[in-house]
Amino acid sequence: MTDWLKQKKERARRLEEVASLVSGKVVQPADVTALLERIICSGDRVCLEGDNQKQADFLAECLTRVDPSQVHDLHIVQSGLVLSEHLDLFRLGIARKLDFSYSGPQSGAIARALDQGKIKLGAIHTYIELFARYYVDLTPNVSLIAAVSADRNGNLYTGPNTEDTPTIVEATAYKNGIVIAQVNKIVDTVPRIDIPGDQIDFIVEAPKPFYVEPLFTRDPAAVTETQILMAMIALKGIYAEYRPRRLNHGIGFATAAIELLLPTYGEQLGLRGEVATHWALNPHPTLIPAIESGWVQQIHCFGSEVGMDRYMSARPDIYFIGHDGTLRSNRLLCQNAGLYACDMFIGSTLQIDLAGNSSTVTPDRIAGFGGAPNMGADAHGRRHVSDAWLKAGREAAGNDGPLVRGRKLVVQMVETFGEGMKPAFVEELDSIALARKLGMPLAPVMIFGDDVTHIVTEEGIANLLLCRNADDVEQAIRGVAGYTPVGLARDRAKVEALRERGVIRRPEDLGINLLQADRNLLAARSIRDLVTWSDGLYAPPSKFRNW
Amino acid sequence: MIPENIMNEPSWYESSARARINGLLDAGSFSEILGPQDKIMSPHLALFDLPPAFDDGMIIGRGLIDGRPVAVAAQEGQFMGGTFAEVSGAKLVGLLRSVASAAGTSQAVSTVVLLLDTGGVRLQEANAGEMAVSETIRAVLDVRRAGVPVVALIGGRAGAFGGGGLVTACCSHIVISEQGRISVSGPEVIETNKGVEEFDSHDRALVWRITGGRSRVLLGGADSYVKGDISSFRQTAAQARNSAPSLSLETLEREQERLEQRLSSYGDCRDTPEIWTLAGLPTPDKIADLTEDEFISLLAKGGRRHDAR
Repeated sequence: MTDWLKQKKERARRLEEVASLVSGKVVQPADVTALLERIICSGDRVCLEGDNQKQADFLAECLTRVDPSQVHDLHIVQSGLVLSEHLDLFRLGIARKLDFSYSGPQSGAIARALDQGKIKLGAIHTYIELFARYYVDLTPNVSLIAAVSADRNGNLYTGPNTEDTPTIVEATAYKNGIVIAQVNKIVDTVPRIDIPGDQIDFIVEAPKPFYVEPLFTRDPAAVTETQILMAMIALKGIYAEYRPRRLNHGIGFATAAIELLLPTYGEQLGLRGEVATHWALNPHPTLIPAIESGWVQQIHCFGSEVGMDRYMSARPDIYFIGHDGTLRSNRLLCQNAGLYACDMFIGSTLQIDLAGNSSTVTPDRIAGFGGAPNMGADAHGRRHVSDAWLKAGREAAGNDGPLVRGRKLVVQMVETFGEGMKPAFVEELDSIALARKLGMPLAPVMIFGDDVTHIVTEEGIANLLLCRNADDVEQAIRGVAGYTPVGLARDRAKVEALRERGVIRRPEDLGINLLQADRNLLAARSIRDLVTWSDGLYAPPSKFRNW
Repeated sequence: MIPENIMNEPSWYESSARARINGLLDAGSFSEILGPQDKIMSPHLALFDLPPAFDDGMIIGRGLIDGRPVAVAAQEGQFMGGTFAEVSGAKLVGLLRSVASAAGTSQAVSTVVLLLDTGGVRLQEANAGEMAVSETIRAVLDVRRAGVPVVALIGGRAGAFGGGGLVTACCSHIVISEQGRISVSGPEVIETNKGVEEFDSHDRALVWRITGGRSRVLLGGADSYVKGDISSFRQTAAQARNSAPSLSLETLEREQERLEQRLSSYGDCRDTPEIWTLAGLPTPDKIADLTEDEFISLLAKGGRRHDAR
């Protein structure tokens, strides 16, 4: 007869193994490594919570200390592989297989480890793609997570950085897995219950609070005049044309410049209340001036941002705030919002090819995807309409009618020459060379050309919606590629014809005065100005201060 | 809250040297001496394969503030770090000497305004630059002895470092904004020579706590504190000539005494909050976090920090 309770019995067996190491749900920090050695078995799928901002850093360190002869061949399934400990697991032979989304600071180390055969790579996912697989074929056996505080029953307060936690815990706890949480403090009563205690098996008070890196703070002082020009082009050529009310911004300087121009240039264009009222967005400090001048109605966040907590708590009409008064973020739900409920994604990239495919991969780095491919993808399951969505769809179809569905605006902003004067426009993406080298069947592409609707450079806008064939697309891209080799190889006559058709629009076609692209046009020119705008509520980390 | 002066006024820190001059002087009153069309350029930069500037990053001339004639010199901090060099130094010294010799004549100006924005001497022409600094100091003192106040306006991106810090300290009156910095050895120089334990140049809050506008004005290293917009600099520069002390032996002796006392009171302090604690300022750890209005009212309560320069 089939045993239908194997997972349940296995869970009970493991819990029994560690009974001597715990008191209720509480584990002492010194006992964590021993606990992990008994509770994790070789070959397990393990999620070692590594979110965009929040990582279970103490548990990660403990896991690197287990005996690899007892615990090995783990399959790591987590969104962010961002701590050096995450890589150590593979180097030490504790982990073997990897499915992830984003690597950021470890992108070089991952590429080396792959090259040396230390990591067996499953796939690089987008965030919601990986979360979806937690519920289908990558369900964790053990999850090691992080929260701000816990009570003795294991009820967790995740603080403003809730991020991936509920998604990870749900998949693990309801499939006979085991969940261990590190918390900054064990308290009598948590400010609010983000994760109910009956989903948590063990808690440990970490010796140090988990570290949070300010990932979304763009210093207005570093915004260049070229970025300001590109932001003006985007505002006049895209925001004013399509009037997208619901949107997501990438985290680069080009979109930070747009945020800082809303109260000045956007106001001059009469766009307040007409565009950018509802957002799926991390708490960008550079959006503070637009919020304070009445542009923004609502923002849902993937995670939090260092220094923004007091400001957001004081603006509960704008942000999602718990009854305890602090931000509640949720990466899965916000990614879903960005995919289905936004009319526009606009963000920066590093490389664009002649078909409009864009990638942030360089030959020796695998940064992963994070969320951009979902933000920057047309959702074919979308059925509700908006003016911006329909206008884009009709431009693409070249006609109108009851079966012409809309399109999400997916805008890529890029300076023709990037860091180190490297051309941003290329005949072939570096990611193709990387895929060849590592034997990947699909090259990592951040946003595929068929999803991109507009490319904005300092030379103007290429509207790919109006392109009717691959040659149009290629010449439209060459036409805004400036003095890069790709740009210099353009067909002059075709580019002029595209300009006649409005496929390419130069700043002068949009009536933009280049001399107005001045830093004094920014609503805030320094982090200090942002603090002033926030009425002293925004508390930037020290590295961003210049006062 | 919409901060009107950030939204409506161009920022001194952000603006070019020419935009600062335009905002400072009465409209249309600036007449430049040796402007870019004269192409008096550095003869040295080509040796280093570096592009020169038609004005060598130093703009000099005359104009009016509230109808009163002034001489003005502005360094472009974005060209070679706003440096003192052979041509730029000679332009500045020439302007100052012409002011000193014209004092008391119909060509006299009421004030010299120096818009310093500099990391110090230009390394590619260091000897000429060092000489330019010493000649500038001598010329500033000659102008002051001739009875014409020299007002320094400090709020640019490069600050006033190296020889620029010395020249600033020799002026009759120093106007500074929060973003302005004055010092001799710059943070990177200290770190390179003495190690990161002595001074972490990447710790921006530390850099501003030591060299920044608020600390300088509280310690008497600057005389007026302004918000960072151009019109605030203009208003204060127009007033500054009235409160400039005469350059007399008595003034210098009083200043010497003040500096000796400062050294004996605060010489052991490792950071400015320690000084503010000893000086009995409220919230000594939060000086940097006060809003501009709060800080200006704190300054007003304290009265003058010194009466000699």
